[in-house]
Amino acid sequence: MNRALCAVAGGGAGTTVLSALLLLLEVETRSAIQIFAVIARFVGTPGNQTIGFLLFVAAGVFAWPLLFLAVEDYLPRGPDPAARGVVFATALWLVFVITGRGTLRGPLLAVYVGYTLFAHWGYGFTLGAVYGRLTDRPAAWRDRVQEGRETP
Amino acid sequence: MTWVSGLVALVAVLLPVALVAHVLGGTEGRDQAGNGSAEPVAEDGGTVDGAESTITHAESRAWPSIGFTTHGKPPGLRRWLTTVDHKDIGLLYICFGVVAALWGGTDAMMIRTELLTAPVDVWDLQTYNALFTTHGLTMLFFFVTPVFTGIGNYFLPLLIGADDLAFPRINAIAFWLLPPSLVMLRGGLITEVVGKALAPFGVGVESLLALEPIGVGWTLYTPLSIQTTNPQVDVALLGLHLSGLATTMASINFIVTAFTERAPDVGWDDIDLFSWNLLVTSALIVVAFPLLGSAVVMLLLDRNFGTTFFLTDGGGPMLWQHLFWFFGHPEVYILVLPAFGLTSLILPKFTGRTLFGYRFIVYSTVAIAVLSFGVWAHHMFSTGLDPRIRASFMIVSVAIAVPSAVKEFNWIATLWNGRVRLTAPMICLLGTLSTFVVGGITGVFLASIPVDLLLHGTYYVVGHFHLIIVGVIPLSMFAASYYWFPLLTGRLYDQRLARVQAVTAVAGAFLTFVPLLLLGYEGLPRRSGTYPAAFVPLQQTASVGALLLAVAVVLWLIVLVQGARVGPRVRDADPWDLRETGQFTREWQWFEGQLAEYRDQSDGDGGSAAPDRRER
Repeated sequence: MNRALCAVAGGGAGTTVLSALLLLLEVETRSAIQIFAVIARFVGTPGNQTIGFLLFVAAGVFAWPLLFLAVEDYLPRGPDPAARGVVFATALWLVFVITGRGTLRGPLLAVYVGYTLFAHWGYGFTLGAVYGRLTDRPAAWRDRVQEGRETP
Repeated sequence: MTWVSGLVALVAVLLPVALVAHVLGGTEGRDQAGNGSAEPVAEDGGTVDGAESTITHAESRAWPSIGFTTHGKPPGLRRWLTTVDHKDIGLLYICFGVVAALWGGTDAMMIRTELLTAPVDVWDLQTYNALFTTHGLTMLFFFVTPVFTGIGNYFLPLLIGADDLAFPRINAIAFWLLPPSLVMLRGGLITEVVGKALAPFGVGVESLLALEPIGVGWTLYTPLSIQTTNPQVDVALLGLHLSGLATTMASINFIVTAFTERAPDVGWDDIDLFSWNLLVTSALIVVAFPLLGSAVVMLLLDRNFGTTFFLTDGGGPMLWQHLFWFFGHPEVYILVLPAFGLTSLILPKFTGRTLFGYRFIVYSTVAIAVLSFGVWAHHMFSTGLDPRIRASFMIVSVAIAVPSAVKEFNWIATLWNGRVRLTAPMICLLGTLSTFVVGGITGVFLASIPVDLLLHGTYYVVGHFHLIIVGVIPLSMFAASYYWFPLLTGRLYDQRLARVQAVTAVAGAFLTFVPLLLLGYEGLPRRSGTYPAAFVPLQQTASVGALLLAVAVVLWLIVLVQGARVGPRVRDADPWDLRETGQFTREWQWFEGQLAEYRDQSDGDGGSAAPDRRER
């Protein structure tokens, strides 16, 4: 499969994980955080949560994975694409957590910050792991790991 | 609410995509085949150190991704849905238990968030009540017991030389009853999501939204649990009943296996300590769980069919408490005995000595099991029970400290003059030993009636038992996961990160629960989402400890997932140097056989293997 398609498939899987985790947060907290308002603020459509969520999904499935493809070689923690995905997602999370914060504060802010970081790591890890597996690179980069260890 | 339905629809669409991607990627043998044959392997290879080994392509292709159990099984999801292999079912149990633990842990983190501040300003009180109810039920019935059942599933047959458990199909049924039980128990949340998703289509929404997470406390005390109108209580009771059936089936399976399937050379006098503890635990389950099931049915009848078991004189609320705790206190030992077994099994491996006082540890396990049925009313000292009855329960409750202390002293004696190796599993076990000292001794005080009357309704009790069930139990599970990880995956994890994880978990357990003991001494009542402002510093300290525990859990996930994916391959079946001290036990011998089989297979395939990554 073409590398871009692999990345998009990874993005689809990652977005599923991220959405499921955010949904769990929303339901468990009995909508105290209003995560969909957060998402709408994040993508810049604070007035419209439906459009906001659709844009969020589009970014998660298409835009971020393709960006990941472009910057992958420059990210630390390689060559494992999943580990690089986590680094990539941490950068995304920083933007998410700052732009989406709104009026959250106090203990809720702590939950929001910690949980969304965990969820984004889930996104990045899944993105990288699925992408790495589909591009058939596990064998290749694992061998690189071995070689790397052999030549200090 | 449209966004929720949109989200659910999206998840429903994307999930199959993810599954397809997963299956396309292949589940086994995804490493690309090459040519050439496997490199000869040195018998003494230090093996776990990736720097020493070059893995050839052929060996790489034959290497299993999860468990050395793939031989002759259908690929992909079908393997996991149809399996009756004890090792696969063991892994399913463990994964299920981990999911439940993360869910119950989310409840716990939300409890600690609410308690960061004195007033009720994060979640409302009803949500707080629901949180500590579902946290308790999820952790006890769907995390601890399933994980230990899973470890038992995988290792009991290997340890006693059986081919499989005595009843493989019953084993599968027992596992597959658990997921529906969990869904029923946590119904309130799940039905809310489904209800909101169905709202735009106008299908049966009211009945779904009528179910709310239950908030009556995990002990389900009557009359509150009868008078609460929330229908989710009924659904949760049925889920609890179902999980009891599953647990009982699994334990019968363990008992029959231990009695009838042992290898000819495994006598009662040389069964390992984990199998002993699992056997005794299973006996407790067979006696205690049917009683819970019956009591739950009586409660359901009271709620729905107008019976009055727990309402009127001759029965009443006290009857529920007696029945519940007759199950409930043995349940405490059902949870903790397998943890003691793991400790007794693994500790000697990293001290270079045999376990001190094997026979007395077995006796103490049996003694705890017998005594555990004579202590239940110490949960009821403050209910106005007859003082003579209370005195007898106090005596037995104090007495049960003796066999528990026998274990602790024997473990310490095993460390004494040993060659202690501070590996990740060993650090976890030292944490187990130390949390058991504090958690156990605080329990001895609670057995004393006058002390209990003062402390029963306070955080002291919460601190006491959490030091056991968040100290001893998960730490022994972490230890087992680290100890057997090479056997489960054929790879090794990042040992340094694992040691950091172990220290973080131990520190987190103490930092979270010692402040709760202090809060209890100061008299702060438990089960309340609000408290006087004077207690803020201790409560916030406990919340910081909980955060540390959460970090430890995430680290554990990272260590194991990355270890299974990219850890260096283990090429010698003795990653812990157990041969040196004559402790290369039966499960590792089995592992050695499996490794040799894989090596032969790769040698055989080496020349002719086509470079088709999906051939297996």
